[in-house]
This record gives sequence, C-alpha cells and structure tokens, in this order.
Amino acid sequence: MTWARRAELLLGRPARRPSEATSAGAARSDKPSQGPEAIPAHPARRRRFGITARVTAAFAAGAAALSGTLAASTFVLARHYLLDQRESAATVATYANAKIVERELANRGADLGQALSTLTMAQGTSAFLYLHGVWYSASVSVGPAGTSRPAALPSSLVGAVERGSSARQREMTGGQPAVAVGVPLPLGGADYFEVHSLSELSATLEVLASVVFGCAAATTLAGLLVGGWTSRRLVRPLRGIAEVASAISGGALDRRLPEGADPDLAVLSSSFNEMVGALEERIKRDARFVSNVSHELRSPLTTIRATVDVLERSAGPLKADALRAMGMLKVEVERFAAMVQDLLEMARFDAGAGALDLEELALDDLVANTVAAYLDGAVPVFVSPEGTGTWVMGDRQRLQRALVNLLDNARAYAGGAVGVYVDRCGSYAEVTVDDAGPGVQPGERGAIFERFYRGAAAGRRAASSGTGLGLALVDEHVRAHGGWVDVAERPGGGARFIIRLPLTTLGGN
Amino acid sequence: MSSFTATPPGALGRVLLIDDDPNIVASLGMYLRQDGYGVSEAGSGEEGLSSFAATPANVVLVDLLLPGADGLEVTRSLRSCSDVPVIVVSACAGTPDIIAGLEAGADDYVTKPVVPKELSARIRAHMRRAQLWPNEGATVIFGALEIRLGTGVARKDGEELALTRTEFRLLCELASRPGWVMSRPKLLERVWGYDYFGDTRLVDVHVGRLRSKIEADPARPALVVTVRGAGYKFERP
Repeated sequence: MTWARRAELLLGRPARRPSEATSAGAARSDKPSQGPEAIPAHPARRRRFGITARVTAAFAAGAAALSGTLAASTFVLARHYLLDQRESAATVATYANAKIVERELANRGADLGQALSTLTMAQGTSAFLYLHGVWYSASVSVGPAGTSRPAALPSSLVGAVERGSSARQREMTGGQPAVAVGVPLPLGGADYFEVHSLSELSATLEVLASVVFGCAAATTLAGLLVGGWTSRRLVRPLRGIAEVASAISGGALDRRLPEGADPDLAVLSSSFNEMVGALEERIKRDARFVSNVSHELRSPLTTIRATVDVLERSAGPLKADALRAMGMLKVEVERFAAMVQDLLEMARFDAGAGALDLEELALDDLVANTVAAYLDGAVPVFVSPEGTGTWVMGDRQRLQRALVNLLDNARAYAGGAVGVYVDRCGSYAEVTVDDAGPGVQPGERGAIFERFYRGAAAGRRAASSGTGLGLALVDEHVRAHGGWVDVAERPGGGARFIIRLPLTTLGGN
Repeated sequence: MSSFTATPPGALGRVLLIDDDPNIVASLGMYLRQDGYGVSEAGSGEEGLSSFAATPANVVLVDLLLPGADGLEVTRSLRSCSDVPVIVVSACAGTPDIIAGLEAGADDYVTKPVVPKELSARIRAHMRRAQLWPNEGATVIFGALEIRLGTGVARKDGEELALTRTEFRLLCELASRPGWVMSRPKLLERVWGYDYFGDTRLVDVHVGRLRSKIEADPARPALVVTVRGAGYKFERP
C-alpha cells in the first residue's frame, strides 16, 4: 500500500482504483494525475451555490439596495423641490399678470386686447380670461375663444375660482405636464387663468433620473465586482488548504500548511498540520515495522535455505515420506523467501524510499534482455515497428521487476506467458504480456492488483505459487513511473497484461 | 564432511566467511564445503581480518552489520592490502546500502536471504576470472594509459594504478574495443561472469570507481564515456 493509498484510506477518501476492464487499445480516462482536486462536497449537504457565488451575490444585493434607495430618495426630493419652485414661480407670475389685467380692465373698460397684450409671458404659457360668460385666450392672439371652458383648464379649478378663491392645479395638457393657476378679479368682474407648461422641467427630471439610477446601477456592478474579489480572497486560503490536502493524499506526506501567516487561519492551519503529522508518523511507523520484520526474517531464512540445501545433498537415500517432506520444505522456504523479498519492497515503497533511479532506457532492448535473462528466451518478444527504439525515463531494476512479476504471474496461473509485445500508443509505450490461461474475470480485473488478493483464481492456483504481492508490486512500480497497468482479455483466450509508460520526450542518441 | 561430492574439500580455493550470525556462518560454511571450497569462518570484522592475514582466501564474503569493525571497514582494510574479490552478503537491500558497499571496494553485492547455489556460482565466477587473464603478456597503450593485459597492471604516466581485479577487467573489456558501446548486461556478463540476471548498479558503481582512478577529471570523463540509454564505451584519447 503506498502512502497515497493509505492516506486516502485514513483521510476517508475513496482509494482511486482505476482499473476498469478495458480492451487492449482502449484509453483510460482516469489516468493518475498529480494536479490538485476540488474539495469533494458532501452530496447530501451540497448547496446549489458555492461560497464565492453567495458572497458575490450578497455584495451585489447590498450595493443594489443601498444605491437604489439613495437614488430613489434623491430623485423624489429633487423632483418635489423643483416642482415646488416651478409652481411658486408660476403662481407669482400669474398674480402679477392678474393685477395688470385687473387694472387695465378697471381703467379702460372692456378693451380686452389692450389689457391682455400688455402681459409678459414666458414661452409655453397661455393666459385665459373669463369675462361676462365669454372665454378669451391670449396664448397666440387675443380674441374671444368661445363660451365654453378651454380644454387646458380643469373644471375643478375653474369652479374654485368662480367661487371667489384663487387656486392652482397640476394637470396634463396635450400629453404635456402643466400647472394651471386661476385668480378671481373682483374689480374687473372677471376670472384670470394661466397655464404654465412643465415639459422643460420634466425633461430635466428625466435627465436627473437617468443619471441617478445609472449611478445606482454602476454601484451595484461595483458591488458585484468587489464581492467577487473579496470572496475569492476569502476562499484563497481554503484553496491553499485543498491543494496541500490533495498533495498529501497524493503521497507528499511532508507537505504542511504555512503557519502564522494569518491569525484567523492559524488554528485551522496548526490543527491540520498536527493531523497530517500524526498521519505521517503512523504511516511511517507501520512501514518501519514491516521493514524491520522483513529485515529480521532475512538472516534465519538464509540459514534455513542453506541448511535445507545441505540436508538435501548430504542426507543420502531418504524414505519416500522424508523425500516428500524435504521437497515441501524446499518449496515453502522459497515461497517464504520470495514473500519477505516482496514485503520489503512494499515496505520501501510505503516508507517513501521508493525513489526512482532514473535513466533513459531503450524499452525494446530492456524487455528483450529481461525476457532472455529470466526465461532463457523461451517466450517470444515481438517489437512492433512503432515500438522499435522506444525510449522511456525509467528505473531499470524496477521496470525489470515489474516485467518479471508479470511473467511469474503468467507462470503461476496460466502455464506461462505465450508472448511479450512492445508497442507505442500515442504518448505511451506499451509492454504487453499475453498468456493462454483461464483469463481474468471482468469483475476481478481491478482487484487483482490489490495486495494479497485472493479471488476465484485462488482455487486454481498451484498449492505453493506466488506471494500475493507480485501484481501489487507491478502496479506500484509502474505507477511510480507515471504509467499504469491494465488487464484485459487476450483475443483467443487468456489474460493480457498491459504496462503503459509515458514516452520520454527526448529521442535516442 | 560430505560423502558424495567428487571434489575434495578445499580443492576449489578458500572462502573467508565473515558474519556475526553463527547459524549463517555454519550453514553457509557447510554448503560451501560440500561444493568443494575450503572455508574459514569469522564472527566479527577483526576476527575476519586476522584470519585473512593468517590464511589468505581467494574470495571473502562479508556481512555489512558486524559488531566492531563493520563490513564497510573490513572491505576497505582488505582493499588496502589485497585485490581479493570481496562479496558483500547483506540483509540491507536498499540502493544506498548497495552503493556504499560497492564504493567501499566490494566487487559484488548479494542480499539475504541468499540462494546458496547462486552464491556458490558467484564465488566460482570470481575465482575463475581471478586466475584467467586474456591475451597474456600483451600491452596496449592509449596515450598516457598503459594496460598490461597479462599481469593485471595498468599505468598512468608511468605510475602503477591501484586497480582491483574487477576494475582492471572492466578496463580491459572496454579498452579491447575502443569506440564500441558495451551495454550494462554485456559488461556484467563479461566482467563478472554472470550469465543470469545481474544487478546493473554493479557496473555503474565500478565504472565510477574506475574513472576516479584513470580519468584526468573524473567529473568529466574522457576515456570511459557514458552512452545515454545504451551503456559505456572507451574513447581513444
């Protein structure tokens, strides 16, 4: 078990067991990756939006509410004030004109034209005079406009003035806002009205509204941006923690969070670091224990091996039972020795001492030499044209061990390998070991790389073959090289083990 | 001791066995005697060195972890006075241990639990090549380097180099075909006499030691050159 896998177990993360059954050529999507992974959310408690989104939204909403309220109240107050001003001005002007008209009417009798033409009126203002049941208008030219009330004057206003009191009313004339002011002229026996257009003021107010609400929108946008930035700032330490946690679960047990950088996070950092420290200590202790045990077993095993050989050679003719016992002893001693060897190798991996002794290797030569040395060339090695001159960065000893373990596995479970192939597939080099045995059931294909896995094959295995660690070691060796090992079905029956190793980017000589 | 071997005891040569585990010494000693070797046994480094001084052996087997002078010290002491082949037999199988053993001057390294048959084969290979020198009497000269093939003597600028037998054979193998690339397995086979699966780290460490003795600048070797991914070759100066 590597640190990575053990850390995954201890940290409660599911072990990444990437061996789904794939066919020989199929690429596997979940290649081992070293990159940081997101903190997995608990599905049951999972929220629809993350912290970043929520903080950003809160900032934006706050900015919108604040700036919206400010904008609205500014606009309402300004509008009220401006309208007031305008209406007062209109009223003052109307009173002044009414005085003039009253005086003119009193001085010259009914010379209305003279009376109204002396008035000074602003653009967009019209004056009306109601005298002896006839309406006179002075907007464009002076003259009787008829006996009916002009459309520009609301009836309620006219009524109020007829009852003898001056009045003012806001209204819409021809789709334009306006204010109408009426003044009774008791001396002239008439009523005087003016209608002041407010369209200019209304245009001003429109500009004001667009400026004020535009500012509010800009403030909201600024709130959104500040919120986004702040939330990212806030979760940055969390991302750091996630990155370190991911590195640790990837096997870098010596990684720690920086402490003391931020007093708010110091508690989290220090307890996180304590946890990882305890974890590291525990894993190292386990690895040390296995290593010590295996190491201590080596000396007695050496003695046992030599003694068995001495006995075998010097005991002379033995009885059948004794001969059989001797044979069993010899086989089991070998198996025991192999197991100690494999356990020590595992312990070295787990202790993190499995550093690669890298050099550039011609994979085709390495495979051919290994098969030749290990099996005396009894198994044919096929190198495809693409596989010729395939270079990988690798540890010669460990790649040889991986290949030998696969050959051992084929011998123990399938009567031996029938072919070894070297090929190239994309940016990976492939070494394939084929056997003609019973094959591996699809459901077992991931599990056979586990340590001491005993599946359905256990029933078929020879009484004393294998250590139960061979394939797990292949997996460890190959993964240490950034590659992975797969098992598939060999066309025509049997198992096909495929080692994939990243090609070196450098060429040959 | 053994009644059936055809080889009389001690006829193949003498092996000195240094290990602090008396059972290992006894059992391996029995096995090697059956194979026809004379065996001297020692339980500590000091005992081993005095035994070697009294009765020189043809091959020395030494454990690394010993009380008193440890295996590395024993190897260095032996190296200083003899070019006897030294095989480290250790329970430490890590690369740093192996390299430390070889750097101390050992010719070979096997890890416990050893396969007695394999150990015996290695001893035989070391003894055989200690006796056989190719092209007896011939001398080849590469610039300042002079190799007298038959005697195991090499000189640089007229001065005799203190090469072990393994280093000398390695030099002979490489220098016998200047410009040719020799792969590590090939060198293992030809220098150590291993026709089985050997540890190529043996080659690398010995090449390093050879360079430190024959190269003008061992950090930038000019005579024994690494060929990336393929092996080593000897360049004419």
